[in-house]
Amino acid sequence: MSLMDSILAGLSLVGNLESFLALFAGVVIGTIGGAIPGMSATMAVALTLPFTFAMQPITGILMLLGVYKGGIFGGSIPAILIKTPGTPASSATVLDGYPMAEKGEAGRALGMALWASCTADVISNLSLILFAGFLASFALNFGPPEFFTLILFSLTIIAGVSGRSLLRGAFSAMLGLLLATVGLDLIYGTNRFTFGNPNMMGGLNFIAVLIGLFAIPEILSMVWDPKGNDGTARKLGRNWVTWADYKASFRSIVRGSFIGVFLGSIPGIGAAPSAFLSYSEARRKSKNRDNFGKGEIEGVAAAEAGNNGVAGATLIPLLALGVPGDVITAIIIGAFMVHGLQPGPMMFIMNVDIIYGLFIGLIVSSVFLFFVGSAAIRGFRYVADIPRGVLVPGVLILCVYGVFAVNNNIFDVGVMFVMGWVGYLMMRNEIPAAPFLIAFILGPLLEDNFRQSMLMSGSNPLILFRGPITWFFWGLTAITVVAIVRAGYRATRQLRKREARAADAR
Amino acid sequence: MQNIHRQTIIGGVAILLALFLVFVAIPNWVYAPSNVRKLVLSPLFWPYALALLTLLVGLGLVFTGMRSDERLEPDPAEMPGGFFRLAIMAVIMVIYMAGLPRLGMVWTSMLAFAATAFLVRTRHPKTALICAIVIPLLLYAFFAHVAGVAIPQGLLVRLP
Repeated sequence: MSLMDSILAGLSLVGNLESFLALFAGVVIGTIGGAIPGMSATMAVALTLPFTFAMQPITGILMLLGVYKGGIFGGSIPAILIKTPGTPASSATVLDGYPMAEKGEAGRALGMALWASCTADVISNLSLILFAGFLASFALNFGPPEFFTLILFSLTIIAGVSGRSLLRGAFSAMLGLLLATVGLDLIYGTNRFTFGNPNMMGGLNFIAVLIGLFAIPEILSMVWDPKGNDGTARKLGRNWVTWADYKASFRSIVRGSFIGVFLGSIPGIGAAPSAFLSYSEARRKSKNRDNFGKGEIEGVAAAEAGNNGVAGATLIPLLALGVPGDVITAIIIGAFMVHGLQPGPMMFIMNVDIIYGLFIGLIVSSVFLFFVGSAAIRGFRYVADIPRGVLVPGVLILCVYGVFAVNNNIFDVGVMFVMGWVGYLMMRNEIPAAPFLIAFILGPLLEDNFRQSMLMSGSNPLILFRGPITWFFWGLTAITVVAIVRAGYRATRQLRKREARAADAR
Repeated sequence: MQNIHRQTIIGGVAILLALFLVFVAIPNWVYAPSNVRKLVLSPLFWPYALALLTLLVGLGLVFTGMRSDERLEPDPAEMPGGFFRLAIMAVIMVIYMAGLPRLGMVWTSMLAFAATAFLVRTRHPKTALICAIVIPLLLYAFFAHVAGVAIPQGLLVRLP
């Protein structure tokens, strides 16, 4: 199939009102979800997922991608107006966005956030279109040993960078892998941890686990502290972003976008580190570096370009390799699975129309984001005024309906509640939930590839080192572990030195 | 408790979990056919490997926890009574689960909505009560009539 044929096939799939409406609705839901303090882009995507089951696969997935894009931008609105990032990815936006709002320039900061987000979004989408196909064609050479080492590398990096320590991330990943063993054995069909319960024979429902891990703990934290995160929204002010502002920040926006693309394409790193790296690079290179942190518009542009640059790029490993780049793409992989689709290199051969349909939808989503974002900036005060006493129970009810709708099974609701308490305990103890979820999704794939490798080699483990690709991933895994351990060791040493100095000073 | 580090406790939990898996859970609740010749291909291999890795991670956590400065004290809630509210929330969840097949999803959700709203001490009780009635009904309308999901109706009142 030529490129033009593929584009036409994609267009025939998404070139209808239903798809564009779903995408638009997704951007609106995401922007509102991201903008509500106490919700996040992740929660918005997770709660929208059950509503997509009744849709065509491409329509449902486009809607979720719209929520994702909208959610990442939406998080910047409370970050600037009430100093509360709507999503962790917007934390860097607070640094200059809120000081601008204090000076009465919130409208200008939000306008720049929107322009930078849309520019980064376009760059990220184009990178996805350019690189995903190339990576997928390369991944067609992968056999079970190569996939095993790739997944192992992804899990290592996700465990290492998600939380405050590699070991806590690793513990979280182990819990996810263990939970993934529940159900019938992949090869022999014998029971594993099913306790004779037929509901557990197919394994625990992925959506119940994910909503339990990412939505219920937020509800429980709001129950723990119902007054937390209250803030007063700043006024937008009279100033608006100008073309001159955009031009002055353009270099930082493009640089931030590429930082986002690079970090987003590595599984596990996510939008927050990308935003901070983009911000610090902009500060290092800017003529106005002294003004950073005091209300510099270029700082807002760099942070937003950094976090939105990730949005398209995280789909590169998802579509090309079948490995989710972060929690949100892990949820989106769930949407693929619900509709009987398995992302990965084979999808570029078997479902090329869906792939190109997604590419077209993603490009259109940047345009929708621009218009929806402009309206959301002006309408934020209505969103910020949603009382917590309505938001918390509303989210709870949505979770219950959504999880039940997956399999029409009350057992799944119970799984969600239990996972919610597990997730809350993890949150209280600063054990990251992302490695848990991604390990839970990749666990069966990891085990399957391992056992297939062993079957191929007559149980000789040397097959896991059979060629340059496996060595490449083993090398990356080793480098990742060494780098994370070294960074942790240095951070602890610096902390101790600071504390010793503080003790001496006392 | 003041001298115990959070990391050590997490490590201890990981070690206990690993030991429980190795000595109780896997031997009792993972079944392997008797004709599997190589252990590496057995359904038992993967859970045992993961349990051993969990044990190693647990030991690592305990070791690093000994040298950590982090304490176990939880962050205090801004509003007192956090643990009590959490306990009530757990009770609401249990009753919600138990009520689903008996009262039906819509009616149980209305009660759960109202209970949770008052638990978080809503400052808008009228809005909360209206939402408690409207939101479950709207969700029922979508899932039952648009998505074709068989929402549990319960034994008392049935919706169209």
